[in-house]
Amino acid sequence: MMNDSQFVEVENLYFSRGDKEIFRGVDMHIPRGKITAIMGPSGSGKTTLLKLIGGQLYPDTGRVQIDGLDVHRLKRRELFRLRRRMGMLFQSGALFSDLSVFENVAFPMRVHTDLPEAMIRDVVLMKLEAVGLRGARNLMPAELSGGMLRRVALARAIALDPELILYDEPFVGQDPISMGVLVELIKKVNQALGLTAVIVSHDIKETMSIADYVYVLSDGKVMAHGTPANLNVDRDARVSQFMHGEPDGPVPFHYPAPDYYSDILNEGARP
Amino acid sequence: MKRSKTMELGVGLFVLAGILGLVFLGLSVSGLNNGLSSTSFTLKADFADIGGLKKGSRVTMAGVPIGKVKSVELDQEWFDARVTMELNGELEGRLSEDTTAAILTSGLLGEQYIGLTVGGAPDTLEDGDVIHDTQQALVLEELIQQFVSNMASK
Amino acid sequence: MIKQRIASLGKSTLDTFESLGRATIFLCQASIGIPGKEGFHLWLRQMHFIGVMSLAIVLVSGLFIGMVLGLQGYTILVDFGAEDALGQMVSLSLLRELAPVVAALLFAGRAGSALTAEIGLMKATEQLSSMEMIGVDPLRRVVAPRLWAGFVSLPLLTIGFSVVGIWGGYLVGVDWLGVNEGSYWSNMQASVSFIDDVGNGLLKALVFALVVTWIAVFQGYDLVPTSEGISRATTRTVVYSSLAVLGLDFVLTTLMFGEL
Ligand SMILES: Nc1ncnc2c1ncn2[C@@H]1O[C@H](COP(=O)(O)OP(=O)(O)OP(=O)(O)O)[C@@H](O)[C@H]1O
Ligand SMILES: [Mg+2]
Repeated sequence: MMNDSQFVEVENLYFSRGDKEIFRGVDMHIPRGKITAIMGPSGSGKTTLLKLIGGQLYPDTGRVQIDGLDVHRLKRRELFRLRRRMGMLFQSGALFSDLSVFENVAFPMRVHTDLPEAMIRDVVLMKLEAVGLRGARNLMPAELSGGMLRRVALARAIALDPELILYDEPFVGQDPISMGVLVELIKKVNQALGLTAVIVSHDIKETMSIADYVYVLSDGKVMAHGTPANLNVDRDARVSQFMHGEPDGPVPFHYPAPDYYSDILNEGARP
Repeated sequence: MKRSKTMELGVGLFVLAGILGLVFLGLSVSGLNNGLSSTSFTLKADFADIGGLKKGSRVTMAGVPIGKVKSVELDQEWFDARVTMELNGELEGRLSEDTTAAILTSGLLGEQYIGLTVGGAPDTLEDGDVIHDTQQALVLEELIQQFVSNMASK
Repeated sequence: MIKQRIASLGKSTLDTFESLGRATIFLCQASIGIPGKEGFHLWLRQMHFIGVMSLAIVLVSGLFIGMVLGLQGYTILVDFGAEDALGQMVSLSLLRELAPVVAALLFAGRAGSALTAEIGLMKATEQLSSMEMIGVDPLRRVVAPRLWAGFVSLPLLTIGFSVVGIWGGYLVGVDWLGVNEGSYWSNMQASVSFIDDVGNGLLKALVFALVVTWIAVFQGYDLVPTSEGISRATTRTVVYSSLAVLGLDFVLTTLMFGEL
């Protein structure tokens, strides 16, 4: 089962929050050195999956292996050592609010390397230049816009050129130009250094253009997977609805709820 | 991270001030320097009754503090109180042999302390010597009792 | 109905023990490990936020409490003609009780609540999670420096409180009310023991420092990451740590001064 070409293996993953089952048997293989996209309706658990991969949440059953290590069996210390080999872009950016943009990007280098200050400065400026924010290096996170925040977070996630990068919605809130720049950047980082990347995104066109492999999550399971070319011509009604963004079809748009009419008519009940 | 110089200075001063405060509490408030400043020597004294005298009570001469009570214990043989005093080392060999010790009270209800008064004998007290000429504490109840019985007998 | 009550009582008891257990594991994980040079700088920073910034409120309160003690003590003692014992009264009440307890209560309100809110907000904005994903343990980097800074700061603040309070008592007693200066100090020196009074007071301060800081950082780390969760946790910090300080003070006083 362990295959050298797979960097991350997700096997038969079950996870629930309270009574709500979020995953009911997810299997996923993320190939080494490639860009894998995870797509799915909002609320289908993509962010949750990334947190499970990063060892921040623990599954009910099933396991996640990264480079042969079972993430959820590691000791605390080993888990932190493994995480040094990963970078994660959080959906909310999650910059350190007491550090400037420069210090945020420098943070991973300061804590994990002994590089001299001049070298850190060069690398930070290089990464910030790549996301177009070299000029904003002295601002504090509170002084940035949402899109800028996320680009700084991206620069921080790739600061140490980690072996595995998890991008949670990297394109949200970007204008068309910076969107194009980010797509190129993600591709370049992946190709130049041979890093493994996982992208969660709703921007189908952009994601499809750089992804080598795509997983579509729905209803707690992997609904479909394949190369972008294969998925685009998939004739499964659910897949094609999602791929082409059609409002009507078998994929539920709504969070699970009782029947609409009975809910509306049931006035006396609690909200 | 650059403006941290003043911060570091502030923290340094804070810690220093705390340590100085502790020194103040030690020297001026608990009076540790009485025992520390110079060498000390001990004298003992037997009292029939020490009243409220405690470990740590003052020892004075002419009203000036010259030491402290180091311990108070019961003499199992004579059943009186054996008080050990720790005195300023400068006085070693300068108190005459017939020095008397009295237990005095500051104010009507105040602390009890020992007052030493030197006599005229040529020999002097050395470290560990015992003062025999002592005057016990005035116990208020006994005074009142005496007073009442004197009145009654008249 | 009664069954339900008993069940919910049992559940809340279990919950209490569970969170106590979590808090203990949390304390162990946060406090072990030798901080390096970086850790020292983080600690310094927190010493500034927690200690230096609390200095003003603690010293001002200490001054007022000392002055009140001087005034109250004088009016009581003067009736017995024992106003010479004012220094002793002021210093013993401060060293043994008031300085450790009042400084700890002020500290819980000033620094404890700020710690909870700060760590809670870091949690709510996923800063703690992102730190974990960078491979840095927030228990070491965020919690430990704050824990140690609190542990060191409060005893120092308590010393400051005592010193200023004794001076305040002096101000009122000697300067205003005319107690003899010599007897203020000599009575104090005769009755205050460095080990029993100053030492035990500091021991109390150390215990309170540990408990208050521990409660504050744990409440911040363990809260529900919403605005409401943060405000509740901040309140809990102040309430729990005040109760813990007062309760522990009784226990410690019984152990330290009980035989008298
Ligand atoms: N802290 C939490 N407590 C309880 N339920 C949660 C929590 N976080 C997420 N959920 C639930 O888990 C499910 C998956 O959430 P998740 O954030 O993984 O979705 P997502 O696929 O990333 O959505 P989006 O595309 O909108 O970011 C959602 O239905 C949400 O209600
Ligand atoms: Mg998400």
